[in-house]
Amino acid sequence: MSPSVPSWYGVAASVLLVGIAFFLVLRERLGLGREVLVASARAAVQLVAVGGLLLILFRHTGLPGALAWVTAMVLLAGRVAGGRARGLPHVMRVATLAVATGTAATLGLLLAAQVIDTSGRVVVPVGGMVVTGAMQGASMTLQRMRDEAITGRRAVEARLALGLAGSVAFAPHLRTSLRAALIPAIDGTKVVGLISLPGATVGLLLAGVNPLTAIRYQVVVMYMLLGAAAVAGVVAGRLALRTMFDDAHRLVA
Amino acid sequence: MIGMQSVLSLDDVHVVRDGVSVLGGVTAQIAPGRCTALAGPSGAGKSTLLRLLDRLEEPTAGTVLLHGRPLPSYDVLEVRRRVGLVQQAPVLLGATVVEDLRTGRPTLSEDEAVELLGRVGLADQALSRLTASLSGGEAQRLCLARALAVGPEVLLLDEPTSALDAVAAMSVERVVRALVADGLTAVLVSHDLRQARRLADDVLVLRAGGLEEAGPAAESRYLAGAS
Repeated sequence: MSPSVPSWYGVAASVLLVGIAFFLVLRERLGLGREVLVASARAAVQLVAVGGLLLILFRHTGLPGALAWVTAMVLLAGRVAGGRARGLPHVMRVATLAVATGTAATLGLLLAAQVIDTSGRVVVPVGGMVVTGAMQGASMTLQRMRDEAITGRRAVEARLALGLAGSVAFAPHLRTSLRAALIPAIDGTKVVGLISLPGATVGLLLAGVNPLTAIRYQVVVMYMLLGAAAVAGVVAGRLALRTMFDDAHRLVA
Repeated sequence: MIGMQSVLSLDDVHVVRDGVSVLGGVTAQIAPGRCTALAGPSGAGKSTLLRLLDRLEEPTAGTVLLHGRPLPSYDVLEVRRRVGLVQQAPVLLGATVVEDLRTGRPTLSEDEAVELLGRVGLADQALSRLTASLSGGEAQRLCLARALAVGPEVLLLDEPTSALDAVAAMSVERVVRALVADGLTAVLVSHDLRQARRLADDVLVLRAGGLEEAGPAAESRYLAGAS
């Protein structure tokens, strides 16, 4: 075993950190004590289960199994992203379609151009990162659109009253939402390596890979996160726009 | 037949929202080239009725007609270009005066923009002036001009002076009076009975979702209550 991978004893010792977090939220009366414990326990259970499943997946199922795993991640991510923007019509479907499109486009390109290997050991973790990027793009776009539909309602109705179609009346708000959703991905890309050292690089460095090899992976990761967030954000925005207005171009969100 | 002599008419219009009756069987006409006030106590259904007229809301039952034809038989965007709306508090949609005016009509020329500003008493304003620097009264008159830019035949005014001080309110009233004198049809929702008396030719008085009174403003018992 590589010395850089913690033993089970090390994992148990790290529970002390949960204790510190728990102590702090109690002391500051943040009302988050239960959440800290539940989240920590949940993380451990989820990761052990996932580790076991991945072991089976990598050994026996090949690319179809890996893609099935990615599909399950897409469905879950769609629910999470949609849940953040409750109030928009059909938001679960919209979010899931957006995450699926962002993931399919990004992962499809990486596989087709042979940037990444087709083995489950590669497709599953890379797919996970792509799904996360797509989820964040879709989630932030939809959340912001929901907020814009509330705070910008009078402006949207003023444009509708001028005879503009719903999609045109909401266009400035869609732009605002997409900008807000994509700026974190763009900023993350800007400062990568300088401020943040993302998971993929950290993992490779811990595994003892040469830093110049590790950053090659990271460049691909940053570009794919940007791509996935952009595709998912724009698809979420466009799809949501269709559901936010009825046939008579009235804002129903 | 209902609606033949009027620009807009309502035929037994009901609106039920969340199980509560907001309008219960209103039949009324809006005559062309006149200002019709929608008056009545708060919660009587005035703003709902106004929003029915450009299909920002839909009746639960009954029909709203434009020139005798049901509104849904027109393209809804055409209805909204023909029936403009000015909201309660000014909502500015462009960074500069001319950008704001072009919201509904991007092809508006500078000459046309200047002419529109003249119609609402803003002839002295530069087209490049930032809308954020306009006073409340100026902003509301710009909203009027923006609605006029699309070329409506009817203007719906939803308490257009309620967010303004007295001087600004008078400036908006002057513009509305001049526009009606020029042949525009106006429908005005106002809480201010004296304002309704000053501006309106006709009045529809709503109470608890029903039509209580309809006729010339000068003969209205409800408006006469304002001293």
